Amino acid sequence: MADLVMPLRALFEWVSEFPSSIAIRESLYFSPYLTVAHVVSMCLFAGLIVMMDLRLLGIGNMRTPFSEVQRRLFPWQMLGMALSSVTGLTLAFADPMRFFVNIFFWTKMLVMVLAGINALAFHFITYNSVVRWDSSATTPFGARLSGGLSIVMWAVVIVAGRLIPYNWFQR
Amino acid sequence: MLQPFFDWLGALPVSQFIGASIWIYPLVQAIHLVFLALLAGSILIVDLRLLGFGLRSQSLAQVARDARPWFTAGIIGMVCTGLPQLMQNASREYFSEFFWYKMYLIAFGLIFTFTIRRKMTEASETSLAGRLVGLVSILVWGGVAVNARLIGLFT
Repeated sequence: MADLVMPLRALFEWVSEFPSSIAIRESLYFSPYLTVAHVVSMCLFAGLIVMMDLRLLGIGNMRTPFSEVQRRLFPWQMLGMALSSVTGLTLAFADPMRFFVNIFFWTKMLVMVLAGINALAFHFITYNSVVRWDSSATTPFGARLSGGLSIVMWAVVIVAGRLIPYNWFQR
Repeated sequence: MLQPFFDWLGALPVSQFIGASIWIYPLVQAIHLVFLALLAGSILIVDLRLLGFGLRSQSLAQVARDARPWFTAGIIGMVCTGLPQLMQNASREYFSEFFWYKMYLIAFGLIFTFTIRRKMTEASETSLAGRLVGLVSILVWGGVAVNARLIGLFT
């Protein structure tokens, strides 16, 4: 574990010394406005992910075939992900050591990876049979599992992200 | 004018209880954001369709009807998680300009959604007026989110 943590810590410390990192950190308004932009882009990303997940669960947007929901919302979800990533990475870039020691930050990162794996697993397994359930009233177990996991995991990401300023577990 | 009401709200035993706990307020804040995602999704899926993007192969009226219960659920979730935050911070939020901008925008957004936007989404296809309505809706609800975040950052 220490073999993994030390280089990571060195990386975060190295970034925190960048003049650009220091400049953003010392600016009064840059980070607050970045936070605002991060929340708005989260709305675009998570909002449309939830709409797709409700369709997978078989409880929302049922008048539209699943493949249609997936195909039409995908570019907007990716735009939301891109904007969230740019704003989020800049926030982390501006104050790396604040995030490095924060349990909620690492929880968020870990669960984001798990949510990505869930999405890929759905794409390569359950989505192959989409023609059989695209417009049916109920969705298969695999679809409901992926949709449910996705909602839960992105909710955890949002909650953990919001809790980052509360460093209850820091020494 | 409303200041006595806000002071009364903040002095309620339940408001004091929320304020005294280090866990309740942050967790309620966090769950408020989860409902924000649900609400934003239910709004955006219709506004994108109004603008001529998103679920274009479905009729506008169908997309709007599917989204309606989730909009309602989102609003209920937002109120239930928003009120406790206001209660434990009432007297300070009364003096926050961003809080009032947010309230005015919510009032406008709700009226707009249930009247003009509702009427516009009963058609099967979007129009120039429909595109304008979609744009106004995105800007108004986006303004709600922006001002909401600014309350916490600058109050």
